[in-house]
Amino acid sequence: MSLVAFRDLIGVAYTEEEVKAMAADIEVEDGPNDEGEMYMRPGKPSDHFPSPYANEQAARFANGGAYPPDLSLITKARHNGQNYVFALLTGYREPPAGVSVREGLHYNPYFPGGAIAMPKMLMDGGVEYEDGVPATETQMAKDVVTFLSWAAEPEMEERKLMGFKVIFVLSLALIQAGFYKRWKWAPVKSRRVIVDVIN
Amino acid sequence: MSDDGEVVDPRARLDEISKAKCVKQLMSYQACVKRIEGDETGHKHCTGQYFDYWACIDKHVAPRLFKWTK
Repeated sequence: MSLVAFRDLIGVAYTEEEVKAMAADIEVEDGPNDEGEMYMRPGKPSDHFPSPYANEQAARFANGGAYPPDLSLITKARHNGQNYVFALLTGYREPPAGVSVREGLHYNPYFPGGAIAMPKMLMDGGVEYEDGVPATETQMAKDVVTFLSWAAEPEMEERKLMGFKVIFVLSLALIQAGFYKRWKWAPVKSRRVIVDVIN
Repeated sequence: MSDDGEVVDPRARLDEISKAKCVKQLMSYQACVKRIEGDETGHKHCTGQYFDYWACIDKHVAPRLFKWTK
């Protein structure tokens, strides 16, 4: 999620104070100070979500050789992304007859190739929702997908509202331009040209 | 949804209901399983029938599933 910053959550899911508190919980390495040394400081809202692994090799080592993709854009980066992520999270099943996955991998029919390194993460009752909604796998998967869709396109609602306004105004302008053109062309189109003998 | 504090996923129930609509695919999958039962080469598998069956189940579960989420 390295493309999402804490401040993107302000006004969407948390208030500014809550976001500042969440950001301050993490430590961020900041640029050289006057002595030329890097130092750690508590996070600010403008920092991006921290990456759990320092680099790709650390990520692969911690996940049995598989590199977990950055999830900032995952719903846009996969075909039919929202449905795909939901199906993947809830789709851990027994493999069909004749198929076996090697030790360390898990079968998931929605993952290309069938064998995914991530084990089933969502279990019924895994979290407690503040408003008492039952935490079924389906509910949690839906919430995860909603969040990832937001993270991939935080501007989507504003963009579509702006789109409707622009299209509406432009279509009015189109109609007006059509009438204006026909008005200007009226003398030309209502001309009569007579071909006759010269006498 | 929760009777004694236990959370029950609606998916299990909907899968059962949809099974009735997907009998043909289920039969063909089970026929395939029987067919490859004695196989030693390890190359035979029933992924095709498996996908057909689960695609049918998913098709019926999908429109009904989100009534049960918030």
